[in-house]
Amino acid sequence: MFEKRYLGSRFTASLMLVAAIAITAVSGLSYMKMREPGPDIDRVVPHAGFEHKRLSDWFEGLAGTPADTDIYVQEGAEPGGTVLILGGTHANEPAGVIAAVVMLEQADVKRGRLMIAPYANPMARTHTFPQDAHPQTFSFRTPNGVTRAFRYGARITNPVNEWPNPDIYIHPESGQTMAGIERSNLNRAHPGVADGGATERLAYGFMELIKQEKVDLAIDLHEASPEYPVVDALVAHERAMELAAMVTMELEFEGVPIRLEPSPKNLRGLNHREWGDNADVLAVLLETCNASAGRFRGRTDEALILTGEDKAYEKAAGLGRLYVPWESFDKRFEERVARHVTTVRLLADNLEFVREGKGVTVEGLPAYQELSDLGVGAFLSD
Amino acid sequence: MILTWIYWAICLFMVILVLRSLYREKSLREQWVAAMVLVPLLLRVLMIK
Amino acid sequence: MEWFWPEGFYTIVMVGVFAVASFAFKQPIAVALAIAAIIGALVSGNGVPIDHLIEGSFGYLDTILIIFCAMIFMKTVQHIGLMESVAAWMIRKFRVLPFRLTMGITVLLMIPGMITGSSSAAVLTAGAIVTPTLLKLGVPPVKAAAAIALAAIYGMIAPPINIPAMIIGGGIDMPYVGFGIPLLICTVPLAIFTGMLLIFPSLKQHAAEVGPGTDDSELEEELTRMSRVPLTVRLMLPFFVLVVLLGGERLFPQYAPSLGMPLAFLLAAASGLLVGRDWKPFEAATEAIQAALPVAGILVGVGMFIQIMTMTGVRGFFVVSALALPAWLLYVGIATSLPLFGAVSAYGSATVLGVPFLLALLGRDEIVVGAALSLIAGLGDLMPPTALAGLFAAQVVGVKNYFSVLKVCLLPAVVTAIWGIMIILGANWL
Ligand SMILES: [Zn+2]
Repeated sequence: MFEKRYLGSRFTASLMLVAAIAITAVSGLSYMKMREPGPDIDRVVPHAGFEHKRLSDWFEGLAGTPADTDIYVQEGAEPGGTVLILGGTHANEPAGVIAAVVMLEQADVKRGRLMIAPYANPMARTHTFPQDAHPQTFSFRTPNGVTRAFRYGARITNPVNEWPNPDIYIHPESGQTMAGIERSNLNRAHPGVADGGATERLAYGFMELIKQEKVDLAIDLHEASPEYPVVDALVAHERAMELAAMVTMELEFEGVPIRLEPSPKNLRGLNHREWGDNADVLAVLLETCNASAGRFRGRTDEALILTGEDKAYEKAAGLGRLYVPWESFDKRFEERVARHVTTVRLLADNLEFVREGKGVTVEGLPAYQELSDLGVGAFLSD
Repeated sequence: MILTWIYWAICLFMVILVLRSLYREKSLREQWVAAMVLVPLLLRVLMIK
Repeated sequence: MEWFWPEGFYTIVMVGVFAVASFAFKQPIAVALAIAAIIGALVSGNGVPIDHLIEGSFGYLDTILIIFCAMIFMKTVQHIGLMESVAAWMIRKFRVLPFRLTMGITVLLMIPGMITGSSSAAVLTAGAIVTPTLLKLGVPPVKAAAAIALAAIYGMIAPPINIPAMIIGGGIDMPYVGFGIPLLICTVPLAIFTGMLLIFPSLKQHAAEVGPGTDDSELEEELTRMSRVPLTVRLMLPFFVLVVLLGGERLFPQYAPSLGMPLAFLLAAASGLLVGRDWKPFEAATEAIQAALPVAGILVGVGMFIQIMTMTGVRGFFVVSALALPAWLLYVGIATSLPLFGAVSAYGSATVLGVPFLLALLGRDEIVVGAALSLIAGLGDLMPPTALAGLFAAQVVGVKNYFSVLKVCLLPAVVTAIWGIMIILGANWL
């Protein structure tokens, strides 16, 4: 095993170096494309009435940094409350992102104010996670045949923006210890630190927005793996429990059964947990089912993202490893987006009942069945 | 953050050491290994990935 | 058949290409893994996805930095003469006390593995230093090689740093915290057993032959050479610095600065500059990287291999197949497949199989199960063609035929696997 053929020389070493540089260049170009994907990728066409802002408008510390992100605001004619929607807290949970985009392109606000951050952690969108083998983008077609492509990112901030992570991350507010990588997870970095790491600063920005704008209802859109118990779930901060319970019942009537979960009080750093603890806002988190980020998944490609069909999950379901009835379960992308949009609509509709005078009325959002049947492309602009 | 720059410097130091090893290595096969290890280190030093 | 096709076929292709490249074409493991990954991507209709291949290797970039910096630390400790001095002191003190000497040598062999998380590092540093004495004290070369390889593996698994356990835990988002005691339970009894089995009989015989008072001039010469740097507190400085930096961060995370392991190792190595003796730091560092490159290369290769496994669905095929094993077969599967997959690499085995086995065993204490799985995965470092610990140990001792070493390792290896399974079965009781 240790017999060596002494063929290596300074010349071959130089050849190797050239090869390494070539491979660095080829792969580097691909990674750069994820960071600067061009105008057609992640493009949004906001509905009339939306005003384009940046999170740095609320927290200057983000201005000019890669953590700054788009916030779209639409105010209705009639006064009311304020609803904030986050998509892409985790950029590898695509139905949450696309649900936010669909609402951004369809929402017509009649009463109150709607604020949407479709790409909440922009630094998680610029890379795919090692050994996850995700495609860089996935796309839809509008009725006119225009392709709308979006990036499939990662759960955490790109190490280019935040590195190295500590071995152990200590949640600054509570002192709770977590795995070091969680420092780069927006959904652990709340309520944030004004002069902290890139992700902590981003969280601080959202916290500022919520406080300064006196947001009444904040909704964080996620997806979970099929092997997790919290799939198709509405997780509510204790003060949002009453509203969440109403919405759960209405969803049941509309044929969209959902699990209602109280948010664990001792699990710190999560967006909705810290929003609710640190501001006078009703905070919830929504989960749909995303096989493309799951641990049991088989072939990983765009089809898996969009259909949710996976033979490894099918077998795992047969072994009783999943919490969802896989065979009869609708795991298509359009169903997941429809579920998110419908839940958000009902949350906004019912806000008036728990906060008098703070109701928000949004028209134009596609109904559950409509979106689930016609597909996402039908509700994206050209 | 200062730690980021320290680690960037550590990465650069490792690139230099791997290059030195590459040029000292007398076995062609082991030179391949050095080249393989070089790629991710270079991409991090260039702050691309 | 439906379950098998095509992922099972891709599995056979990828593992087959790896075996052929490393056995028949004698390619380094790192290169064989890269070739297998490329062929796997090609066969599954993905072309040669260079960006995916390189992205996979980034999964271990931080680990590679740890290994590099830990190796620089070990080389420093070696160059300033600390390791030899300690070994000489120990042999002088315990020569006529074979049990204590056996334990001392075993601990010395384990320490570099404990610190670097790499069995190769342990073999190439402590193994190389202890070998001449072991042979002079009458330990047969084959047994010496086996003892070094096994102690190095137990060192790799023992705390504070255990990379397979980090990999397995990372697979279920479990932080590498609280592993200390379980890992000691995993390794200490086995290290004692192996030392008693392979080293103690020869040392005992030697002690009986020389007896107290007589001297062995040849050995004395060797010991004098080894201890030419006196063992002073100053000489121990790099170790103290390391213990303070790593220990502080772990024990008092609220107060100690979070430097990370690579920086802690480099600072500890730098403190070696303050220690007397002439040595060339830049040379030592280069030597360290040269020694660590095969392991770093394997990590890069494993990263590529796993990325393509994920892409093609082979990974899900593996994971769910493991979940599908009936309970009793699950334990047999763990005890055999984890070491066997070590033919690719112990780290790869931890990633590909360790994580699904841990998932299949959810409900038992996850830290204890993860620790035990890492122990069994560590045995992979004896499995040819990779056999990192075994091959390096045979090379260090000068045994030509590794299989004669492997034969001696067999009994301790089986005991190790059984011990690991027993720990899993008793996980909740621990
Ligand atoms: Zn999420």
